[in-house]
Amino acid sequence: MAAAAHETQPATQHATTTGIDNRKVMMWIFLASECLFFGALISTYLIFKGDSLVGPYPKEILNIPVTSTSTFVLLMSSLTMVLAVYGAQHGRLGMMKVMLLATILLGLGFLGFQAYEFTEFVHEGLGLTTNQFGTSFFVLTGFHGTHVAVGVLYLLSLLVASNRRTGLGRDRALHIDIAGLYWHFVDVVWIVIFTIIYLIPN
Amino acid sequence: MSHDAHAESHEEHPPTTIREYVMIGFVLFVVTVVELWVSYNEQILGSTMIPVLFVLSAFKFAVVVAMFMHLRFEHSLLWKLFSFGLILGTAMIIALTALFWHDRTDAVGGPEYHTGSTQAEASAPGGAAPAPAKH
Amino acid sequence: MATAIGVMTHAEEDTGLWSWLTTVDHKRIGAVYTVAGFIFFMIGGLEAVAVRTQLAVPNGTVLDADRYNQFFTMHALTMIFLAIMPMGAGFFNYFIPLQIGARDVAFPRLNALSLWIFLGGGLLLNSSFFLGGAPNGGWFGYAPLSSIEYAKTSGMTFYVVGLLTLGLSTLIASLNFAVTIINMRAPGMSMMRLPVFIWMVLVVAFLLILSLPVLTVGLLQLYFDRVWGTSFFSPATGGDPILWQHIFWIFGHPEVYVLILPSMGIVSEVLPVMSKKPLFGYSAIVFAGAAIGVLGFGVWAHHMFTTGLGPVPQVVFSASTMAIGIPTGIKIFNWLGTMYGGNIRFVTATYFSVAFIALFTIGGISGVMHASPPIDGHHQDSYFVVAHLHYVLFGGAIMGIFAGLFYWFPKMSGRMLDETLGKIGFWIMFVGMNLTFFPMHFLGLAGMPRRIYTYDADLGWDTWNMVATIGSYTIATSVLIFVINVIKTMRKDKDAGDDPWGGATLEWATSSPPPAHDFDVIPEVRDRDPLWYDRDHGIARAAVPEHNHIHMPPPSYFPLIVALGALLIAVGSMTHLSVLGLGAVIAIYGVWGWALEPTD
Ligand code: HEM
Ligand SMILES: [Cu+2]
Repeated sequence: MAAAAHETQPATQHATTTGIDNRKVMMWIFLASECLFFGALISTYLIFKGDSLVGPYPKEILNIPVTSTSTFVLLMSSLTMVLAVYGAQHGRLGMMKVMLLATILLGLGFLGFQAYEFTEFVHEGLGLTTNQFGTSFFVLTGFHGTHVAVGVLYLLSLLVASNRRTGLGRDRALHIDIAGLYWHFVDVVWIVIFTIIYLIPN
Repeated sequence: MSHDAHAESHEEHPPTTIREYVMIGFVLFVVTVVELWVSYNEQILGSTMIPVLFVLSAFKFAVVVAMFMHLRFEHSLLWKLFSFGLILGTAMIIALTALFWHDRTDAVGGPEYHTGSTQAEASAPGGAAPAPAKH
Repeated sequence: MATAIGVMTHAEEDTGLWSWLTTVDHKRIGAVYTVAGFIFFMIGGLEAVAVRTQLAVPNGTVLDADRYNQFFTMHALTMIFLAIMPMGAGFFNYFIPLQIGARDVAFPRLNALSLWIFLGGGLLLNSSFFLGGAPNGGWFGYAPLSSIEYAKTSGMTFYVVGLLTLGLSTLIASLNFAVTIINMRAPGMSMMRLPVFIWMVLVVAFLLILSLPVLTVGLLQLYFDRVWGTSFFSPATGGDPILWQHIFWIFGHPEVYVLILPSMGIVSEVLPVMSKKPLFGYSAIVFAGAAIGVLGFGVWAHHMFTTGLGPVPQVVFSASTMAIGIPTGIKIFNWLGTMYGGNIRFVTATYFSVAFIALFTIGGISGVMHASPPIDGHHQDSYFVVAHLHYVLFGGAIMGIFAGLFYWFPKMSGRMLDETLGKIGFWIMFVGMNLTFFPMHFLGLAGMPRRIYTYDADLGWDTWNMVATIGSYTIATSVLIFVINVIKTMRKDKDAGDDPWGGATLEWATSSPPPAHDFDVIPEVRDRDPLWYDRDHGIARAAVPEHNHIHMPPPSYFPLIVALGALLIAVGSMTHLSVLGLGAVIAIYGVWGWALEPTD
């Protein structure tokens, strides 16, 4: 405390009513909102299930082993993410940076798998407009992929910022923690999507 | 910077250790493998397969949210805020699928609904959308 | 004390254009929102007058069918997204921090961002008039009227992109307001001491946070249908137009409560002060507001009774719709109970508040009428629904907003609006509103459909249509009188003082208009009506310490840059990928600069 006493407190960081930092509250509310975003996309996918007038149908085209691998990659990225948060919270900056980098790479890996999957599908004749499966599949997984990509940019900017002379500043642990919340959420959404699209028989 | 070292002093953090995090990651991995096994063995589980898959993925969801996102150790407000969205989103998925499932059985003249007039309208020529292709 | 140490920023005392463009002061942002919302209100009003002029007589020739479609669609979009919501947002911005005893919102720069994105989105939507035709498929954009086959102009693409842009602005603002209310309250301001207005804002924020993403998904799907050739909503290739209706109304019904709850909050502030007694049944009114918020998510299909939902869903949605009438009714009793036995001051704000109760009740009752599917079968798509929605939206939302304008104008400008002109304007508006919308009940029951651009002479609709059109000109007159009133008032000296009404809530505990830092000393809250409590218990306002250095966030131009990027992304999604890419680069640059910008 004594060390921080003479520092100026920004207006937004006064002791808050609930004691939780504003930014953290906002992230959790935002994630609640995201539940509805993905809820609507998932609903659409389910509603159009079996409504394709022409093939390829999901059974013929989904490559479960490949996607299981990418699912595993994303799952592991959650582990590295949580370790990055751990590093940030316990002042182990080296660990934090390495784990951030690992998370970014795993996220890119997931995106790579998705790019591969999409191109494969197009080769096999399933485009965005081919049938209802194609439409709802690409839009649902595409928006999930966009979220992963945004997450990669988010983590990348934190990694870059943490290497500045001033690092991430006083709120280092909080910044990484909040980014982690977003990242884990994108991961749990994938858990649901994976079950609904890939695991449940079509 | 010098104050970096003090940064964590006013930040509460979850009690979970690295070892525990890795264990949790491992459990998640195992559950995923079980899910795959279930998915490939429809003939064994039959009609219980879909519920089993949902339970397993709900378990993974809960573990990540509670431990990795450390919601378990947070102020109950955050838990309430998030679960409101989660419950609403889930309810919406259930309601919409149910509404459209009904729509389908109605349009194809399934046994669920025999309300004379709706039936007649739904099957009137040109009245119904093209029947969905089943495969 | 909790007061921060630091230096006072004087930048906020600037009045140049740059200081407004870079402001992060919630009061300035609120003022811009209110003024912009009012300008859009007048534009939307002109569109409505044009529509009514066309319908004044049978076989009218003022607007052709195509232009008529653009006008009624843009009228609704403007009134909902560019007038009522922004004027509400103006009050939220201005009065949330003042009423909860904070110095600003939780995220001042995000607040500026939502303002600029809103302005950009509003201009984007309206520019469509000059760029090939405005949206013409109704504010609900039903498929297939929104599909590329039937809406060939770019109008409905403007609809999609415009609403996505406005939705982004609204989402950001709602997150900000929610966090502010949860986390920035003055000491002693517990949840059950929050002013009712603040409670209603909280409910509105959550309604938007949880319903906007659903609309976003629907709009994106429509975008893909129109631009990329998918068929989410076209049945020929397996899509389903009914899906759009579900998605739209899952957002749309919560949205109508977004429009009305702020006005309910305003009336709940005005009536106690003007009746000189505390609000009757505080917890009931708060609970009813929250119940409306929750139930509001479970009634959407009452807009779809005639789509063949099937018997079970019809019963369920009919019941839930009727149920939502209960908390709504509770509130009406709260307001009546507040006035009952009170020492009522009949100022203009009181007039508008009382009119709100009466007119909203009429609209609520017709709402419960079409909660019954067989009755709705007759009402649906007829002028009866138009009568309903205008009684709740004009009689409710707009009357409430005018009550708020008269009540809070002294705080925002330091000057009292002219009461005589105000009352004259009120009566003209009240008469005009009923002249316009009451006959629509008869027209609807006589079978006149909504959204038709003309009608034949022998249908028995002539008289009431003429009456309604006369009413619309009457309303326009009253709005003009209000504008004159504002101009006149702004010319005179400040005469309001800190607390002209003897208010109960914290905004009256500071000067009018308030200083940049809102309060010299953050007030301590001891009761639901803090100022009355302090008055009755002889508690003096805390003395201002001698060295009162208050640190306010510095101005920032990054919100403007990010908003520019977002707007270019929106434009690019309708024109060329390169514009979109440029927008993305600008937005990312803005976010990066924003993140690194010191806020100390
Ligand atoms: C007691 C509460 C209410 C009930 C039971 C109710 C019920 C309904 C129903 C059943 C409809 C569908 C009518 C049809 O299209 O056939 C409807 C339409 C509408 N209501 Fe309400 N309503 C209520 C309050 C409100 C409020 C407070 C607002 C807005 C401030 C509102 C705005 C609207 C609008 C804009 C429409 C027309 C939507 C459209 O088709 O464009 N209602 N209402
Ligand atoms: Cu509704």
